[in-house]
Amino acid sequence: MPDPAAYLLSTLAAAAASAAIVLLIAGWRRAAGAARTNAACVLAVACGAAIGYLTMQTRPGWPPASARDRLLLIVLPAAVGVELVSNASKTPRWLAWFLRLALALSLARILLRGSVYVAGPEREWNAWQASLVLAGSGALLAAVWGLLGGLSQRAPGVSLPLALGETILCGGFAVMLAGYVGGGEAAMPLAAAIAGAALASPLAAERSPLPGMIGVGVVGLFSLLFIGRFFGRLSDGAAVVVLLAPLACWAAEIPRLRNGNPWIKGAVRLLLTALPLVFVLVAAKSRFDHEMGPLLGLP
Amino acid sequence: MRRFSSLCLMTVATGLLVTVAGKPAAAGDEYAYDPVHSSISFKARHLDISWIHGRFNEAEGKFVIDREDPSKSTFELSIKVDSVDTANTARDEHLRQPDYFDAKQFPTIDFKSTSVKPIPGGYKVTGDFTMHGKTKQVTIELLGGKEAEFKGTKRVGFSTELAVKRSDFGFDKKNIGLIGDEALIFIDCEGARQ
Repeated sequence: MPDPAAYLLSTLAAAAASAAIVLLIAGWRRAAGAARTNAACVLAVACGAAIGYLTMQTRPGWPPASARDRLLLIVLPAAVGVELVSNASKTPRWLAWFLRLALALSLARILLRGSVYVAGPEREWNAWQASLVLAGSGALLAAVWGLLGGLSQRAPGVSLPLALGETILCGGFAVMLAGYVGGGEAAMPLAAAIAGAALASPLAAERSPLPGMIGVGVVGLFSLLFIGRFFGRLSDGAAVVVLLAPLACWAAEIPRLRNGNPWIKGAVRLLLTALPLVFVLVAAKSRFDHEMGPLLGLP
Repeated sequence: MRRFSSLCLMTVATGLLVTVAGKPAAAGDEYAYDPVHSSISFKARHLDISWIHGRFNEAEGKFVIDREDPSKSTFELSIKVDSVDTANTARDEHLRQPDYFDAKQFPTIDFKSTSVKPIPGGYKVTGDFTMHGKTKQVTIELLGGKEAEFKGTKRVGFSTELAVKRSDFGFDKKNIGLIGDEALIFIDCEGARQ
């Protein structure tokens, strides 16, 4: 059963921990370098999310048998590792994108491992279907990752990770309303850790590029929606709309906004991202009330 | 030429002897689980005040019964989680989700015997019970074993009850509350001799 008090506590713990870690690692020198700030933010998101999961009493099993456990114990740590290596000052750009692409292409296989889709005598997909889904989802993730990573380089700022955190949180609610409470819960500490690190990063560096945090967030968002779609009952449409929602931040790059007040630009980014998310959540709540209302004794 | 022919004959005869001698003796009667005349149902507490009843509509299995040496008998059953039926479609869908059975990740609930002992009225069967990806050893009393012949096919029937704690099988403890931790499973099965 959903526990709002535990959610609030874990969200606050994750946000506070990630903000504190950013300030601790990058903050003692006012003008910390880009690579240092990036690494600090990635580590902060990882530690903040872990503290949030502990506070929420989320205990993934080892070896990870379910897709959510693989998300928490394999996918997110892998994304953190890839972003730490990719954003190191000596890592060539081609190697960074090679690592990201490798993770993007292997992610679906990791999450689907042992499931009825790809394993067992009565597997639901033949080799072609499996290849199509694995390659298609890898390409989709790589495209979203590339576009948001490119935007974070082109127009750095706190609003982009905040928009991503907002999307992860709403994606989690959509997964919960689709009937998979444990999967949706996993969104909260991650979203809060990203928001905490993003809000603390300007205090640690003059100009925070933050692509590392974006990478971890995009992988987390994609994985949540993927397990919600293939293991829960999240619809294709809802999953795609939520995944693409943060790309609305690109709209703030039109000439009049791009060089305008950064606060207005940030607000536009958050607002444009929120619009499709609100639409998805309203539809998900309506479906939940219709299907689950009688079961839960809702009016 | 004659010597060659007798050599060939001897080789064939020896081969036949070895084949016959090497074939294991029939260990017992093998039966296939008959889904038409079997039932797998369960009940679990709701809010700790009442019981919710349900059943699994699809399963397959086989058992080998050796009347002379019961320890050589074996029992296997595989229940399809997707076929859960509590007479409420929304609840069935919810039970298939990862918060409960996680049917896409763990499509079956399996039992495979590891030892069988005769007891009055049936067998005491110990075996590996796998649910939600976790395997635990359980012992059940399989009562029955009466045989009947119907339209030329020999049939045998058994009944058993099994109490399992969901928390022992990796179910999320946060989802134990509304529906109680312990579930009682009732299996009444009939096997048709193969």
